[in-house]
Amino acid sequence: MLLSDLSGDELARYARQIGPGALSAQGQTRLKHAAALVSRAGGMGGPAALALVMAGIGRLVFAHGGNLDSPDLNRQVLGSEEGLGKPRVVCFSETLRAMNRFVEIEAIDHEPDDDEALALARRVQVVLSCAPTFAERLRLNRAAVEAGVPLIDAAQWGMTGTLIVVDPGRTACLQCLYPVVPEFEEMFPVVGAISMAVGSLAALEAIKILAGSGTPNFGRLLLIDGFQGRWSQIELRRDPDCRCCGARKPRQ
Amino acid sequence: MHIRVVFAGRNYDRTQAVPARLELPDEATLEDALEDLQTLLAGKGIELPQSCLVAVSGVHLGTLRAHQAHPLCDGDELLLLAPVAGG
Ligand SMILES: [Zn+2]
Repeated sequence: MLLSDLSGDELARYARQIGPGALSAQGQTRLKHAAALVSRAGGMGGPAALALVMAGIGRLVFAHGGNLDSPDLNRQVLGSEEGLGKPRVVCFSETLRAMNRFVEIEAIDHEPDDDEALALARRVQVVLSCAPTFAERLRLNRAAVEAGVPLIDAAQWGMTGTLIVVDPGRTACLQCLYPVVPEFEEMFPVVGAISMAVGSLAALEAIKILAGSGTPNFGRLLLIDGFQGRWSQIELRRDPDCRCCGARKPRQ
Repeated sequence: MHIRVVFAGRNYDRTQAVPARLELPDEATLEDALEDLQTLLAGKGIELPQSCLVAVSGVHLGTLRAHQAHPLCDGDELLLLAPVAGG
């Protein structure tokens, strides 16, 4: 991988994020050669995808089924009045392409099932789980663990967000935390500001992992409780008997 | 001993009913604290979701349904996090 893999235009675009405490030029090149799966294009998936595209990821696989509706616009940073009633991921992908011509965007207009999630996870280097239900999150978790790629799980409720970063075979996976699928409420309340905060932090973790910069937050749960004004981190315990990751060896 | 109790995640109505501090006998364990807490809440007609993550002073110990045994110390913080999803 050579620094010359970045064109003059690309180096100019990313000039403000190459330097101490950010990305090395080598890291920027690694990011260009990397791909991420973001599922879905919701309150957190949108800002996560946007931040990855702005940062210069090589390829973004963006999955979501369904159209953009008016109640989505309190948190859909990639949405607009103009997009109402249109397929969300198609509209959002256009916005992303307009944001950065150096990034390839692959739009998938449905929620991947088990087989497709695994096939997609095998084509990327990190999976961002930004899905509304635990069933979908656990599916993406299984796919990432099976494919041996890190999983970043971003979740929200009200003014609260959580972020979990999984290194398969080394740190706790989602199934370790939730051996029984938790109950889920369809019409949960959420304030867009927390969606954007957690989605952006999910992208930051992905950028660190892909570029090899900084220290990814593997094995921890970050809790941002905006309602009560509390931020905390929890060291997660891996379940040695986890039926998803228990037999998994650490990544090389 | 006294421990701090924090409830976060879904169901903020339940948050209001959770006491910020719990007084426990010395040598009390996590199990004792959870039992006290659930008895106290049951008196108010409140049941915590069994899928709540349980952590003591930043260390994850499982869920309400299934967690590791853990001795408590004065000043510990017991965190109960009702799982958050939402996309
Ligand atoms: Zn696991």
